[in-house]
Amino acid sequence: MKKNRPLFRQLTPKQVRQIDENGRRILEEIGIHIVGDTVFDRLHKAGVDIDYDNSRVRFSSDCLSKLINHAPPRFTLFSQDGRNDLQMGKGNVYFGNGGRVFRILDMNKGGGYRYTLLKDVINTAILVDHLEYIRFYIIACQAHDLGPEDYHLKDFFCAFNHTTKHVMGGCDDVQGAEHVWKLASLIAGNESRLRERPFVSVITNMTSPLTCDANTLNILDYCTCRGIPVTCAPAPIASATAPATLAGTLSLMHAEALAGVAITQALTPGAKVLYGAVPATMDLRTMEYTMGAVEMGMMNTSAVQLAKLYNLPIYASGGLTEAKRPDIQAGFEKLFSNVTVAMAGADYIHLAAGLMDSGNSLSYEQFVIDNELIGMIHRILTGIRVDEETLGFDVISSVGPGGNYVMEEHTINHMHDEYFYPNLCVRSNFDVWEEKGHPDMLTKAHEIVEKILVKGRESRLEPDLIKRITKVFPAILETL
Amino acid sequence: MNDFQVVVDAVHKGDIKTAVAETQKALDKGADVQEFLDKALIATMDDVGENFSKGITFVPQMLRSAKTMQECMKLLASSFQEGAVKSKGKVLIGTVKGDLHDIGKNLVAMMLEGAGFIITDLGVDVHPDKFVHKAQEIEPDIIAMSALLSTTMPSMPLTIEALEKAGIRDKVKVIIGGAPVTGKYAKEIKADSYGSDAGASVNLAKSLLGLS
Repeated sequence: MKKNRPLFRQLTPKQVRQIDENGRRILEEIGIHIVGDTVFDRLHKAGVDIDYDNSRVRFSSDCLSKLINHAPPRFTLFSQDGRNDLQMGKGNVYFGNGGRVFRILDMNKGGGYRYTLLKDVINTAILVDHLEYIRFYIIACQAHDLGPEDYHLKDFFCAFNHTTKHVMGGCDDVQGAEHVWKLASLIAGNESRLRERPFVSVITNMTSPLTCDANTLNILDYCTCRGIPVTCAPAPIASATAPATLAGTLSLMHAEALAGVAITQALTPGAKVLYGAVPATMDLRTMEYTMGAVEMGMMNTSAVQLAKLYNLPIYASGGLTEAKRPDIQAGFEKLFSNVTVAMAGADYIHLAAGLMDSGNSLSYEQFVIDNELIGMIHRILTGIRVDEETLGFDVISSVGPGGNYVMEEHTINHMHDEYFYPNLCVRSNFDVWEEKGHPDMLTKAHEIVEKILVKGRESRLEPDLIKRITKVFPAILETL
Repeated sequence: MNDFQVVVDAVHKGDIKTAVAETQKALDKGADVQEFLDKALIATMDDVGENFSKGITFVPQMLRSAKTMQECMKLLASSFQEGAVKSKGKVLIGTVKGDLHDIGKNLVAMMLEGAGFIITDLGVDVHPDKFVHKAQEIEPDIIAMSALLSTTMPSMPLTIEALEKAGIRDKVKVIIGGAPVTGKYAKEIKADSYGSDAGASVNLAKSLLGLS
């Protein structure tokens, strides 16, 4: 993948500065409310101003800058097999899916919806493993057929066992994080190998406005100490948990995201952390939470500029829709945010594949459709190559007026590197389209899903390794 | 391993220079012309055609291969006249009257030639009478007509009428193609068949003449 300069900016440099100054002022004057006091002393040692009476932490401008300076501007999110390592902070753009969905559009049940199950974690992992442009896997959904006991052992195991791409997920508590760490260590061979090449990372969230709970802090502490990359992503909702104005929501989000980075650096200097951004809006006509709103894309695009002001890699959001099916609305809502966030140069765009219904529902077919849309966005990011060879004066001269270019060597040399060839988009001429029974994207996507799920069933982990894992964690046997 | 592997590879790659040089070598060594045509050229183009229908080979590559084959065929031309080898059939092709678009027509001609047909190309803006006269002269197995514009499509039935009037309609198969042309239209104007794209034309031509 090529390095991309930002092709699109939502904010002017002056607007970026204004929002940044406002965000820093929020941290200095208002601060973050921290629930639980287990880490206060360590934050205090790192120079953070602690208001013990009100459980409030404030960051002076100096302290904030100093802490954020510890955060690595570049690091790698590894894959299990080294074939899909993701370079953060080097100008690359990667898309992945999103998590914690609870409903699925099941095309095999006559197009009806049902609650998600462990098999959906497995199937979405298989899909992501096979889809070229979906570069990382976030544990996609709740497994409603699993009890709370050993939950993360089971869902992370299923992810590791069905995709070798980087896996990211949320943990309910420190015990969950501990399970993930131990499981991943077994797969890596040992703990130090995992620390060297972490192929798993953990998502935590700030609670807007300006709150961080003890559980989040404990998970951040546990993971960063062990070299597991993290994000602590605020998800402010304009008009609900953040100001109605986009600039106000961005300021609040920026303050929370910077606080997340600063806190990880206070706990573990040098910890691998992504600036997190999941801003969205409410539809004030109904108070519906709308992740598919056009303003969501605008704010995420702006968030990239805010993160890059600090040279921080960003965990941004894109590709969401309010549509309940993979339809016209889904297509254009997804495109708006995916393309603008990518063109702004986001490192890591999550929620970008498979989701519908404001992030509440998923569809296997939508994964396949989004893969193609993302492929086209990568074509945009690659840009237009302009040099002597591509300007093609020589071939223009040799073909001359009235000829054609179809069989020229120049054409054959560039027919693969100049074009994106879609698999799903219907391009056949009218008669062929009629002959084939009017194929559309959704039916084609369903066929591809069926093919991938049939051929991708087998375990990615070696049988011996699975034996060793289930010996340590017998609970995992229930998932096999 | 084919005896003519170097030619086979060169045709696959569309490497005209090598293919022509190797063809000359083979002829100089006294290779059987029919065997050379079948094994080195036609079998390779069948391969290329199959890869094309699977989406592995793209149109420009296929046409390059066809062009390479065509250049090699020129060396075999003298043998053709002596009746040493059989062609698949003769095709008379052109873009119909009023229409100046020829890329699609050229693609079809190239593909058919690659498949072993002998092509006579009348070019663009071909008047019905011109189709008739040439057909009377060369007695083709197939007449192929192309139109890009819906406004020039009516030249197709006019040409078919002219063939009828000249009394040669039942001696040839008429196939049509072009962006606005459909299978339904082919039936309406009593053409024998219709090809949706250049790739389809080869199979179409073969099946009309009862070839595999």
